[in-house]
Formats: sequence, structure tokens, C-alpha cells
Amino acid sequence: MQLRSPLLYFLLCLVLAGLIHIVAVLALPGLAPKNAWARLVPLGPTNTMIQIPPLGPGNEVMPMMAPDVRYAFCRFDLAQGPVRLKGSVPNDLWMIAFYTPEGDNFYTVPGADIKSAQLDLVIATGEQTVAEAGVDAPEGADELFVIKSPMSEGVAIVRAPLSGPSRTARAEDALKATICSKLKS
Amino acid sequence: MLDKFIASPSASHVTFRSASTGALSSMRTLLQLIAVFAVALLLGISSARYMIEHGSPLTTKRVGPWASWVSEGNPNSDPYTKAHLARSGRLPLTSTTARYFTANTDSEGDTLTSDCEYSIEGGALNARWWSLAVYDEHGSLVENPSQRYSFNSEEAVSHSDGSYRISLASNARPENWLPSGTGPERNLVLMLRVYSPREVDSSGIGQIADDRLPKIERKSCN
Repeated sequence: MQLRSPLLYFLLCLVLAGLIHIVAVLALPGLAPKNAWARLVPLGPTNTMIQIPPLGPGNEVMPMMAPDVRYAFCRFDLAQGPVRLKGSVPNDLWMIAFYTPEGDNFYTVPGADIKSAQLDLVIATGEQTVAEAGVDAPEGADELFVIKSPMSEGVAIVRAPLSGPSRTARAEDALKATICSKLKS
Repeated sequence: MLDKFIASPSASHVTFRSASTGALSSMRTLLQLIAVFAVALLLGISSARYMIEHGSPLTTKRVGPWASWVSEGNPNSDPYTKAHLARSGRLPLTSTTARYFTANTDSEGDTLTSDCEYSIEGGALNARWWSLAVYDEHGSLVENPSQRYSFNSEEAVSHSDGSYRISLASNARPENWLPSGTGPERNLVLMLRVYSPREVDSSGIGQIADDRLPKIERKSCN
């Protein structure tokens, strides 16, 4: 078999290049060694709220974080049951965002949607039922707010955008008081 | 008879030649295939890299110097956006909650550098909160004595119509001074994050009018 025609070589090259392109794009997310999840894992255990200190040059956890946002996060592991997130939200600019380890932002609760500034929600997988865990709904709420996680692991990030220096201390205190813990404990 | 006499040696000559050119030509074919594979590898990898790092009309919206990955963080995003996100090491909010715009050039298309001074002028943004921050090319904040790394909607001194002007410069400037750091020259990246835009399209994606994104004008260079 001989490929004499330059056109054939050209077509072969194009098809191969296309295949390599597709494989490279699909393989990359799994190969990226320093994705966000890999950066958050060393900072602390699962099912614990971890504060990210005020950002400065050199102490960023992830690239391009907002210097005027305070962050706290909880890597949840639902293998032993649902996880509860509790705290107060002093400013309706806050965002409570939920991600898979791959970085899919599958749910976000804007602070403006939180009634009476009290955050109280449960993260569970599709199969877990919160009623079985025997938890009481918080006072005044019709039912406990449950967020279904597509995976048994993930991360919840609380963002507190700073709205002026006077309110920074209050935001930091509220972030520190936020609790992430297993439902049954 | 004469024909036969002439034909037979030439026939054997032809056979001899074709055996040697056969080996040569299969060698050549192999080399050509290797070359084709090398070129394909280069093309495939570099085109993937370009579309993941720089983006394409499939994944990114470009307005002047600003680029925004529209489905960043979305669980249903395309493979290019997913690859871009994994490489970036970031955890952005989806475009239904926040919009992110990055610029690594000025409005003329020249790379942003700490050796030059820029004037950033933007219109009022219809959103709950926004912030404009400067980073080096690795996404780290830029060291400066006044520890100023960004301006947000609460801090920036703005005009009565909501428009604002930020000076990106090494040395102090009046109004809103965003320090670009001293020391050796570095390339800079600006990021504008807009939380909860009030205008959304039919799929809930926050909309920022093109003319509201800041113009980045180079003033002078060292």
C-alpha cells in the first residue's frame, strides 16, 4: 500500500490532528494537577468550615480570588450521611455556592434569598432522605431546606463581598460563626 | 529473436530496480507517516491549547479587551470550558449568579504591563455588587505598600451618573488609584466580577451591556 498523493497525506494529518485535539480536550480536566479541589484539600479536613485568611500577595489559595471578598469553605463528604450548614448571613450580598470536585457550580443560594438572615440547610445525595436522619426543622421554617448533591463529595463556598471597611469585621465574625457538620453527631 | 534478446535483460533489470526502490519507497512511506503523525500531534495539541486557554466564539464572549467564559462553572458546560476551568484552578460562580470578565490587553490590544500607566473608565453597572481587581499573569495579587488590590462598587469614587475612572499605575494617582506594583516589569491581568446582574436573558444569564465594560487606555510608559 502506498500513499503517494499529497492530498491523502493531508487528509490523514487532518483526521489525526482532529482525534488528538478531541482526546486532549477531554483528558485535560482529569490531568490538571492543580485544579481548585486539589488546592483546597490540603487546607483541612472534610465536614468542617475552614476560613480563608484575608488575601494578600503570595497567600492566595486559588488564582484570581477576589481580594475584597472573604471566603470560607466546607468540603463535604456525604458517605456517612447528610451534612448541615448553619450560620447567620448579615449581608444579602453573600453567596453560598455548591460545587462538585470538578468545579461544577451545581447550586447557589444568594444571601438575598435567605429568610431572616439565618442560614440553615442540609446537603444530601439523591438517595439520602433527611427525615430518616431525624432532624428537626428550624423554628419558623416549614421544612428544612435540602440541597441535593450530584456526587457524594463536593465543596460549599461562602463568599462575603466586603461593602466597606466598617462592615468587614462583622462579615468576618459571621463567617467564623458558620458551622458545617455531619447531621448525625 | 532480437526482441527477446533485448527484452530479457531489460526485464531482469526492471525486477532488480523495483526490489530496491520497493525497500526505499516503503522506508519513505514510513518516514512520511511519522512526519504526518508529528504534524498532526502538533496541530491537535496546539489547537486544543489555544481553544482552552484563549477561548473561541463557541465558549467565550469578547468585548474589546474583555473576555468572558459564558458557561464557566455550569454543570452542563462544554468540554473546552470544563478543561479551561480545571486548568485555571478557580471555582467561579455560574453566569446566572455572577459574570467574570478578564483583560490582559488594553483597548488597543497591547499587553497590560506594570511599566505603563492606564486609565480605566467604565459605565454604571446594573448589578448588586462589582469589583475590579488587578493580578499578575499567574493570578496572584500585586504587592504594593498601600495594600490596595481592587476597587468595588462600594469603594470606588464614582461620578453622579455611576461611571467611574480608575488609574492603574505604579505611583500614586488621584481619585481611584489601583497600584500596579514596583520592581521588575510584569504582565498584568484585570478581572471585573459582577455579582447578581439585574438584567438577565431568557436562560437567566446575567447581561452586561457592551458599552458598560471599561475602556482601558494607555497613558504613558516608562
